[in-house]
Amino acid sequence: MKFSLAVYSAPYSAQSASSALRFARVLLAQGHEIYRVFFYCDGVQNGNSLTAPPQDETDLIAQWQELQRRYHLDLVICIAAAQRRGVLSEREAKRLEKPAANLADGFELAGLGQLVDAVAHSERLVTFGG
Amino acid sequence: MTLHIVNQSPFSSNALQDCLENFAQGDVLLLIEDGVYALQGEFFRAIPGARIYCLEVDTAARAQEATASAKPNVEVINDIRWVQLCTQHNPIVSWFR
Amino acid sequence: MSHSTIALCRTPPYGSAIAREGLEAVLTSAAMEQEIDLLFLGDGIFQLLDHQSPEEIGQKSLRRNLLALPMFGIEQVLVCHKSLRDRTITLDQVQIPGVEVKTIREPGTLIAAYHCVLSF
Repeated sequence: MKFSLAVYSAPYSAQSASSALRFARVLLAQGHEIYRVFFYCDGVQNGNSLTAPPQDETDLIAQWQELQRRYHLDLVICIAAAQRRGVLSEREAKRLEKPAANLADGFELAGLGQLVDAVAHSERLVTFGG
Repeated sequence: MTLHIVNQSPFSSNALQDCLENFAQGDVLLLIEDGVYALQGEFFRAIPGARIYCLEVDTAARAQEATASAKPNVEVINDIRWVQLCTQHNPIVSWFR
Repeated sequence: MSHSTIALCRTPPYGSAIAREGLEAVLTSAAMEQEIDLLFLGDGIFQLLDHQSPEEIGQKSLRRNLLALPMFGIEQVLVCHKSLRDRTITLDQVQIPGVEVKTIREPGTLIAAYHCVLSF
């Protein structure tokens, strides 16, 4: 079955960010398809490459990246929500004249239309927030 | 039939209460994360006969396993069953605040 | 199966970003000519109140975004009857020009009929 996930929570702030990752992993292991994971609201922080958790804690960003490489996942960060919260690609950082870019590899910035498109093309949408 | 997923404690959030007020005949309730603390109260009288599930890992993490097994209408499920519930029901509504 | 979508608006404006960002998602959906309905329930009802003046807290009026709904082709919004009653808000306090505000008494049955539910 074709799923999309909407993730509204920041990693390390709310458990739902890691629940989303766990759910994605089980979905894929069960042979389901993930059309897209759309990160919105505080969820855009899941694509922040500057997160540096202690060694003995789960590196959520690295785990999303690993899953992305293995399954060619479409991990989309809402560009408007990301700009407000300081998650920028090289291109956006240059355009907005900011000193650094921090969008993690494997994630891409795109508009809210990608959420609408995910809703239209998926059989299920599961939202992770809080 | 809707699958309702609640991840907040009913002792600090309206998520479960709002969910129960929006519960239709045949709908299913899944408690995850802090949502499993609902097992400590008498919240399910509002939805007699409804199927209620709680996620095993979150239930164990929060010392709610005994409470869960003492409730005859509550079933503890693993992550694979979670995925199955999502394939068996639609729409899926998340109540997260 | 129908591909229609409903957005549940449950959060009040200003205290968090989710009400505003939720509404942005709804407007984007409508602009892309996708069928989307809005149900205001719980504290989401507070988004609809007239006379919001958030300038002094450094925010833009969310109500102003709601006034744009007809321009996006959304001519009806649904509000939960019980949520209004619990907050002693009357129907005339939550009107939007050019939009029919329809009260819903059995939201659960309504929600179950949709293909997709967005929560904000």
